[in-house]
Amino acid sequence: MPKRRDILAIVLIVLPWTLLITVWHQSTITPLLASRKDKDESSDSSSNSRNTFALKESCSLQEPDIVEVVRTEYVYSRPPPWSDVLPTLHIITPTYSRSVQKAELTRLANTLLHVPNLHWILVEDSQRRTSLVSRLLRETTLNYTHLNVETPRNYKVRGDTRDPRIPRGTMQRNLALRWLRETFSGNRSQPGIVYFADDDNTYSLELFEEMRSTRKVSVWPVAFVGGLRYESPKVNTLGKVYGWKTVFDPHRPFAIDMAGFAVNLRLILYKPQAYFKLRGVKGGYQESSLLKELVTLHDLEPKAANCTKVLVWHTRTERPVLVNEGKKGFTDSTVEI
Amino acid sequence: MATRMKLKLKTVFVLYFMVSLMGLIYALMQLGQRCDCTEHDMPKDRTISRLRGEVHRLQEQMKKAEMTKSPQKQPVKAPQPTIFVITPTYARFVQKAELTRLSQTFMHVPQLHWILVEDSPHKTPLVTDFLAKSGLTYTHLHIATPKDRKLQEGDPSWLKPRGAEQRNEGLQWLRDDGRDQQAAVVYFADDDNTYSLQLFEEMRGTQRVSVWPVGLVGGMRYERPVVEGGKVVRFHTGWRPSRPFPMDMAGFAVSLKLVLANQDACFDGNAPMGFLESSFLQGLVTMDELEPKADNCTKVLVWHTRTEKPKMKREEALQAQGLGSDTAVEV
Repeated sequence: MPKRRDILAIVLIVLPWTLLITVWHQSTITPLLASRKDKDESSDSSSNSRNTFALKESCSLQEPDIVEVVRTEYVYSRPPPWSDVLPTLHIITPTYSRSVQKAELTRLANTLLHVPNLHWILVEDSQRRTSLVSRLLRETTLNYTHLNVETPRNYKVRGDTRDPRIPRGTMQRNLALRWLRETFSGNRSQPGIVYFADDDNTYSLELFEEMRSTRKVSVWPVAFVGGLRYESPKVNTLGKVYGWKTVFDPHRPFAIDMAGFAVNLRLILYKPQAYFKLRGVKGGYQESSLLKELVTLHDLEPKAANCTKVLVWHTRTERPVLVNEGKKGFTDSTVEI
Repeated sequence: MATRMKLKLKTVFVLYFMVSLMGLIYALMQLGQRCDCTEHDMPKDRTISRLRGEVHRLQEQMKKAEMTKSPQKQPVKAPQPTIFVITPTYARFVQKAELTRLSQTFMHVPQLHWILVEDSPHKTPLVTDFLAKSGLTYTHLHIATPKDRKLQEGDPSWLKPRGAEQRNEGLQWLRDDGRDQQAAVVYFADDDNTYSLQLFEEMRGTQRVSVWPVGLVGGMRYERPVVEGGKVVRFHTGWRPSRPFPMDMAGFAVSLKLVLANQDACFDGNAPMGFLESSFLQGLVTMDELEPKADNCTKVLVWHTRTEKPKMKREEALQAQGLGSDTAVEV
């Protein structure tokens, strides 16, 4: 009957158009939604980052949000400015107790204080978070997250040596990655860059700005590694990485030092199974164990003027020889160094 | 009527089909444009330059905050005394790295004037460029250590006192400069030590010579002056405590007034090991005149860290083959 036909005709005409229009709108609206979510997430994460976390404890310790710089005669640092536009740099630093620890963390903190939108994830190799590090982090007024995980010790060997089969810092870096995945799991478009910074290296401020524009994984030269003045990726005229300028095993999938690359947080979240391999990793292959899960050689982004400038130095601090302490300890052990 | 309706419907459908087909093609083209990289690279470049602008803006903001915050904190209305930091340095692999991280600490300290003295017959381009980019107030000097006093390759670091000529050059510059900064303080900072920011505020109020503990020195966790009744009575050190001033270079600061009043006080490059500091301080002050800082010398605010010499075996091997890493790249 005519009426039904008319109705049918109208429905058939209108339906696909509505479908088309909804699809059309979705594609234009989602970028807006993402950016709004970004703003909310970044403000949430900045306040969260100032609290301390312990994944293993059931009730997480939430220290009061330290926004005000404590105005005493001695504190001359203030939190680096937080911008809504810049991607956050998540700097993962494993650390362990030794006599130079406080000195190393102090000067690294002095460096990091210059970098805007930085979030320091300090992971201690210890059974519980030490007061030395907790106090140091509080006093720097950086945005930080304080974690800890102990590398299992090799009880078979006499003494206090850690399991030599697990490269140093691996469990700590993996814990930080896990923390990032658990904290940012909800929102995949949170802009952030992840960088592994050891506590004894030296970083120029330019490096942090170079890594901020990382889309997947960016790379650059590192000084004093592999027995060379510097190791660097080989970059062709098209600006793509095609090899590694190293002497020590240049055929590794990623012949690069821990300090020589940064990963976009999105990629870390997108590949939740990617971690540093704990055991059975040959010397120098640790970085490859993570990077091969994340990216291919072709996708690497060379920074530092197409890998011609050295912006990070793999310095190592001498172990102080405390000969004069003697067996009982000459100095007062309550004085913290 | 039925045929008309039919016709109407048919034409409507045909028309609609054509229109929607064209619409879908257009929509697909719009969605497909994501693969068109050239059009998307520009927004990315724009984003990058926008981010760079943002970073620059924030860095300017931070610099401004650094400069304005100190007058707010000072209870005294007079301008803060300047701290003149004399650092001797010499060319080696880790020099640029050491100076970089040292400058990053100094950038936090207001009213700091860095006097960097190279152990070199002339100013090196590495240090010159570095200082120009550092953003600090600086004076760049140089003086070469005479050959007989210089450590040779393979000598242990403690064999000869180092940096004496360079520190004296720094002192001489201060004396010649004739600036009217009577309240200023002079501190000798080596380029491989680690300094906390608190230390500089402790030393700012030095009237004659102030002292404090130094960590990781003298083969001990720390060395320090022992304070009783607000005065230094002796020194807690594991090595040769009978020295006139058994402390490290990083453990004291001198007021500029005292330096200018004693034009002859300088470091004796021929002094026996460990006596370099004493050779300078002996003529300036006595033990009971020392001003203890750092909470009556109970806190460690400076550490005598030393950086390992990087292993260059492969580099040396390559250089022997003429394949060394590009020397044009500054490390």
